[in-house]
Amino acid sequence: MSDEIEIRLSGSGGQGLQLSAKILSRAFTDEGKNVAQSQSYEPTSRGGMSRSDLVIGSDIPDYPLASAVDYMLILDQIAIKGAAEVMRPGGTVITDVKLTPEPPRGDFKVLALPITETAIKLGNVRIANVIALGVLAGLGELCSRESLESAVGSMTPPKFRDLNMKALRTGYDMAAARL
Amino acid sequence: MSNQTSTNKRENLQGNHACALAAVAAGCRFYAGYPITPSSEIAERMSLELPKVDGVFVQMEDEIASMGAILGASMGGAKVMTATSGPGFSLKQENIGYGVMTEVPCVVVNVMRGGPSTGMPTRPAQGDIMQARWGTHGDHPIIVLTPASVNEIYQQTIRAFNLAERLSTPVVVLYDETIGHLVETVDVAGAQEIELHERKWAAGEADDYLPYQPDDDMVPPMTRPGDGYRTHTTGLTHGEDGFPTQDPDTANRVLSRLYGKLEHNKDIVECFEAMDTEDADILIVAYGITSHAARSAVHDARDKGIKVGLFRPITMWPFPEQALLAAASKARHIVVAEMNAGQLVLEIERLAGRDRVQGLNRYDGEHITPADILSTIEGIA
Repeated sequence: MSDEIEIRLSGSGGQGLQLSAKILSRAFTDEGKNVAQSQSYEPTSRGGMSRSDLVIGSDIPDYPLASAVDYMLILDQIAIKGAAEVMRPGGTVITDVKLTPEPPRGDFKVLALPITETAIKLGNVRIANVIALGVLAGLGELCSRESLESAVGSMTPPKFRDLNMKALRTGYDMAAARL
Repeated sequence: MSNQTSTNKRENLQGNHACALAAVAAGCRFYAGYPITPSSEIAERMSLELPKVDGVFVQMEDEIASMGAILGASMGGAKVMTATSGPGFSLKQENIGYGVMTEVPCVVVNVMRGGPSTGMPTRPAQGDIMQARWGTHGDHPIIVLTPASVNEIYQQTIRAFNLAERLSTPVVVLYDETIGHLVETVDVAGAQEIELHERKWAAGEADDYLPYQPDDDMVPPMTRPGDGYRTHTTGLTHGEDGFPTQDPDTANRVLSRLYGKLEHNKDIVECFEAMDTEDADILIVAYGITSHAARSAVHDARDKGIKVGLFRPITMWPFPEQALLAAASKARHIVVAEMNAGQLVLEIERLAGRDRVQGLNRYDGEHITPADILSTIEGIA
């Protein structure tokens, strides 16, 4: 129970957050942790709120859904609803500075970072989700970098592997610059 | 079912995928369905898995035809499954009743979403509890299983096949959208020990065969087309020979046996979990995702010195009545927490008496949380 970590990845449909959650889950599982990953999305394939929550621990949690989030990623203003209420006091919120103009406020840290802007500079807005993973993992020291690199490598299309690995490195660098 | 640590291989598996993998492991070789959120991953996974084992996957033209197709395939000798959500479950009801009456083994999965009608496709609900029991017309028994985790979806789907085959009846696997889409770390399906049961096939003289003549377990053996036995199948009330009749004695005997075969085999049908109920002053009754919130609330309340227990039906219908009464023997209050306007609570009131039973309900597409249940407990204690 006591070592449980809760993470929420949120934004809008099409930003790749469900895939990010699967990648992060794999990294934790490879390190021997138990993961419960839930999801919530609208019945549209693009747009609409989309989020995935991870509850991670050594044991199988009593309650597999997020109730006190330690780390939250918000890549779109649409995902802001209810965000502050579910945060654990002292937790960390990472937002996209451009797409989340009004970040949540409360007893937690908020880091506004140019995630999608960086993705566009690297050549593809669709790697914002992997940059965000790097930021999250770098800031929180949540899982080993090797596990996450291995999960990104095995769960993204071969055609985009180099780009995704570059995105992950960039995310780690962005985190390091803020620590 | 035990996990073999020597072949321990952990992976993150989605509830709906666990259902599909369990079906194939249980011997399902025919799936017909019409994809519908939030059950579509079952159809998708079956379409990938069945060809590997020489099984047949058919995407049918609609929900009704899907139900008809699996009944036909089962009569042909295959283990069969279909999956749907509320709107499709409504459409399947007529053929589910046909399956009950003609005693055709089949598994029907309903992943519950917000209703009524097409409701909220991607939001969880537990609003089909009574529909699963009474969705098709006429007096009829039905088996409904309500798993609460990815691992349990795997186990209960296999058990659904075993019960369908052993008792020659449709079995419904009923779980909410949250459990269906939940991904959990599990020991890979193949590493689990599985006990499988097959239906009884007619073996005696063809001239003596009566298709609805039951054995001592109250279940009649089936025949495959082409095996040389003369059989007749109809949804009309039928005698042991399978032909229609309105003779009162026969009608009484047939329906009594349909009910009786579940009652007679209650030991293998009933399944439940009772946690901390021995001294429970307050009993929470919950199932599916809500039972996780209840479990968490029970632990928190116990830490505060409140005597609370959890009763979780895993077989929802026929409801495990004696087990509930035993779990509630010391309870002054019983709280039935469910994501609907109050369905199972009616059954619990019937069993335990209205005075000590209250509902905790939510039907807005959001979950009942551990905090919701804990505050209800603290309000009573």
